[in-house]
Parts: sequence; structure tokens; C-alpha cells
Amino acid sequence: MKRMGRFGLDALTGLWRAGVVAAVTVLVPAMWAAAVALAVLWSDNPWSWIPLVMLPAVGSLGLAQPVCRWVRSLVARWTGTVIEPGYREPPPVTQLSTGYWWNGYTYASSAKQARQEQEWRHKLRDPATWRDLRFAEIVALTAGLASLVPLAGIAVAVAGFATSSYVVGGLGLLAAIGTAPYAWRLLEPVAVRFLRPPPPSLADRVDELTAQRANTTIAQAAEIRRIERDLHDGAQARLVALGLSLATAEKLMDTDPRQAKALLQDARAGAATSLTELRELVKGINPPVLNERGLVDAVRAFALDSPLEITVDAEPVSLDPPIESAVYFAVVELVTNAVRHAEATSATISISRTPDLVVVVEDNGRGGAVIRAGGGLEGLHRRLAAFDGTVAVTSPAGGPTRVRMTVPCESS
Amino acid sequence: MRILVAEDLYLLRDGLVRLIEAYGHQVVATAGTGPETLDALLTLQPDVAVIDVRMPPTQSDEGLRAALAARREIPGLPVLILSQHVEQLYARELLADGTGGVGYLLKESVFDADQFVDALERVAAGGTAMDPAVIAKLLSSGPTTRRLDRLTEREHDVLALMAEGLSNQAIASRLFLSESAISKHTTALFGKLGLTDNDTSNRRVLAVLAYLNN
Repeated sequence: MKRMGRFGLDALTGLWRAGVVAAVTVLVPAMWAAAVALAVLWSDNPWSWIPLVMLPAVGSLGLAQPVCRWVRSLVARWTGTVIEPGYREPPPVTQLSTGYWWNGYTYASSAKQARQEQEWRHKLRDPATWRDLRFAEIVALTAGLASLVPLAGIAVAVAGFATSSYVVGGLGLLAAIGTAPYAWRLLEPVAVRFLRPPPPSLADRVDELTAQRANTTIAQAAEIRRIERDLHDGAQARLVALGLSLATAEKLMDTDPRQAKALLQDARAGAATSLTELRELVKGINPPVLNERGLVDAVRAFALDSPLEITVDAEPVSLDPPIESAVYFAVVELVTNAVRHAEATSATISISRTPDLVVVVEDNGRGGAVIRAGGGLEGLHRRLAAFDGTVAVTSPAGGPTRVRMTVPCESS
Repeated sequence: MRILVAEDLYLLRDGLVRLIEAYGHQVVATAGTGPETLDALLTLQPDVAVIDVRMPPTQSDEGLRAALAARREIPGLPVLILSQHVEQLYARELLADGTGGVGYLLKESVFDADQFVDALERVAAGGTAMDPAVIAKLLSSGPTTRRLDRLTEREHDVLALMAEGLSNQAIASRLFLSESAISKHTTALFGKLGLTDNDTSNRRVLAVLAYLNN
């Protein structure tokens, strides 16, 4: 009885899933059918070939990606098999010194226009687009057809019972129930075989590194500009004012000693302020503790100064300075996000070598953090990518947010 | 007082020596590296040592490590650490042994020579001198902030100055209040924080710092 019940449940879920698979995979063939139907309908019109060619061409390109996205999510939900999307990242859109925007392919006068122009060019060059297109056809002819079997059985059963041919109806029902638990299962092997991106080739790697190098160069240039501006408007200006005060004080020393004394006091206050500004600037370039004590103590020192209650769980690690600096600023950014966006009150930071460097930052905030193009997390991801590092974010709405960063290190 | 000056930058070292001597104290030795500093601390046992955090050979925290090592050998050996930046982490390490005779100031604190020499004398006498920047961080970070919510603004000011290492008399003159007003505030804030007031001001400061560090 229990086994019967389970089989019944399997058949019902199977039937539902077969229906979903059929609905998703039939989209592309249905559009072809529509094109043919239109062509037939307008057969006396000399332009009737237009829908026959245009509709499948444009429609397949537009539909393939959503179909593949749905298939990936269905396979992941039903079987737990995760298929990476494997789309290429579009190259960054950057403003050149001439004021124009460069998107990796063309120049445009605004960032928005550059992004729009980039979208289709990038898609057409991405092998994943063509993989999606091929898959949309293959899946319709394999998993799509297979999932139609139980549905056809149901149709036969309905037709049979309606016309009182109970034998035909019974056979149809039997076929539907018998095949339902299995019919949708073809989706997984087909998706794994035809939708999974091929292992990255050397050429892909070269493309990735080229993009990373461009990113790093741009980020560095922006950083240097910021430092120059800060020094120019801050310390340099203050030192000029300081020199002025001293020169005036020197002049007034004999004639108006009281005024001279006041100027000297101003000069002293100015010197103290420039020191404070320089200290902040230095901290933003490379925090002194990082230099003096390394990553773990720098993170501890940062945790102590934070308004959050932070527990640091770390083993001593020794790393190359560039990696230390990148990871330190990543941690700082994550904690700042936790305070600013997630309204967290406490956080834990753990640092370990396994032998890759693994840093996990978790807060008790309200979650909902996503890696968005142009967002802070994406920038963080890009900075770590320069060291082949990866960032994984789990942040359900309502929290907690957990970010795991991994940077490969040669064991020393 | 017999004073050791450990600082690797010649200009600063020279300036410090001149400033200290202008106030009538004696500089018994100068050091420019971490090992030299440790050696001078242990052999000369100065009344107080002014030590820069970052020194050769590694240009990391040589000075701080020399000071901590010397104080492990000779507990309570008075040291005043100078740095371009202050970190709670280092302050905690310096205060961890609870013996006092510790100072930790930003380098620009020498701009106010009177206050600087005052701090130096306080440390030599076994007291503490913590930079206002460290105390501000201690008071405003992490769980401490909430515990200090119960204090009035004035009590908060008094607590901050006390944590820097100042005596009631010094706090009174900084805040332009009478000494009796200050002692009223201290009694009130000690009550609120659940600390027992101590007669000697050094031990009282250490109790406050221990409370904030916790």
C-alpha cells in the first residue's frame, strides 16, 4: 500500500514535471510553427517569406537564453545538478581621457549608449550564446519529445473515455501513469551533455587575464588620481598656509608680538591638522598596521575600532603584501557594508589556510546582498580576481550574510 | 630624570633630545634600532624611555616589541611609545600586564611641549598617558559604547580624560571646573559603571582602562 502510494505520488510529480518540461521546450518549435503558419496564411503575398525567415532567426536568438536559464534552474531544483551558465563577462565600460566611452568594441558619447551598443556585440561573440541556441533545439527534440509521452497518454485516455472506448482510454491512462515518473528525467543528462560549458581553454584564460589587466590598470589609475587630489587639496595647501603664517609671524615678531604669537599657534594647529589628514590618506593607501603586523593583526585592529561587535578567529598566515592588502580592504568593505546596508550589530571574521587562503565574513544583518554589475561586491570580486581569488555570497533576505573569499596561495 | 630616546629619524631624535633637555631632564642615551633600544632599556634602566614604534631593521613594530620585551624582564619599566598612528590593538598589548608606567601618544603630541613633558613625568612616576585618539576609539567602538550610554555628557568627558591618565587636578583645569566638582563626577560615574573608586590615581586609571578594554 505504502509503495503504491509512493508510486502514485511519483507519477503525479512526474506528470507535473513533464508538463513543465514540455511547456519550456516547446517554445522554440512553437515559434517555428507560427512562422510556417504565417507563411502559409500569406502565401499569395510576395513578402510571405519574411516571417518564415525573420521570426525563427530573431525569435530563436531571443528565446534561447531564457529557455536555457529555466532549464538550468529546473535541473538544479529537481536533481541538484548545478550547471554553470558560463557566459562571458562583458568588458568594462570606461571613460577615456577624451571624454568618450569605450566599451571594448566601439566609442560612444555616453556610458548608457556604450552599454547598449556593447550588449548585442558581446552576446554575438560569446560562444555561450551559440551553445544556448543549439541546446534550445536539441532539448526540444529529446527531453521535450520524451516529456510529451505521458501527456499524450492523458490525451488518449480523455479521448477514449469521452467516446466510451474504455480499452483505448485505459491503455492511455496506463501509459501515462507508467511513463510519468521517468519521462522528465531525460532533461538532466541532455542538459549536462549539451548545456554545460566546456572547460575553459587557454584562449579563454588569455581573454580573462587581458580583461583583468585592463581592470587593474583602470583601478590603479583612479586610485593614483584620488591620492594626487587629496595631497594637492589637503597637505600641500596646508603647508603653503603654514609657511605663510610663519613668514607673517616672523615679520610681526618685533612690532606686534601678540599677533605673531597667535599666528604661531595657528601654524601649529595647521600642522596638526595636516598630520591627521595625511594619516587618514596613508590608512586608505596601506594601513600602517598591515605593514607592521600583517593581515591577521591588521584585521584584529580594524575589528577593535569597528562599531560592530566583531569576533576574529584567525590562524597566523604569511602572505605576499599585494594579496594581504587586497584581502584586508575586502574585509573592510564587507564590514562597512554590514554596518551601512545590513544594519548588523555583530560579525565574525575567520581567516585560515587550507592551503588556499580562506576568509569568511559573516554578519547578523538583514541580508539581501547581491553581486550587481557596478556594485561594491562586484568591484571586490574583480580586485580579488587579479589574484585568481573567488568570492561566494550567500545572503538570503532577512539575513545572515555570509561572504567566503578564497585566494589560491602556494604553500610556503 | 634619566631618559632614553629611541627614534630612527635623525631630525625627530634631535628635536626630542633638545625638547627634553630644555625642560631640565637628562637624555642618558639614544637608540636608532630595535635591538639597540632593547639593549639600552635593559642595561641602563632609564627612569622613562621615549620609543618610536617603527624602526630598523625591519621597519615594522621593532620599537613596540623592544618595549614589551623589556617590560617582561623588568615589570613596570616606564615606556612612552610614540607613533604616527594609534591602534587600540597596541594600546591593549601595552596595558595588558596591568602594571602601569605606560604611555602611548601620537607623534604630534610633542607640539604641546608642556603637556608632552607632563605626560613623560607621569609615566616615569608609574602613571599612564594615553593619546586622546586611542581613548576616543576605546570609548566609541564595539560593545563599550552601549555600556557608557548611562553616563551624562560631562561624566563622559571626565571618563575620557581620566582614561588618558590625568589626575583629578589636571582634569579640573582642562575642563575649567573645581576639583571637588570633578570628584563628584568621578564618584557618580564609578557608581554607574560598577567600579570601586581607588585612592591612588594610577590604580584608578588602570581600573578604568581595564574596564574599557574588556
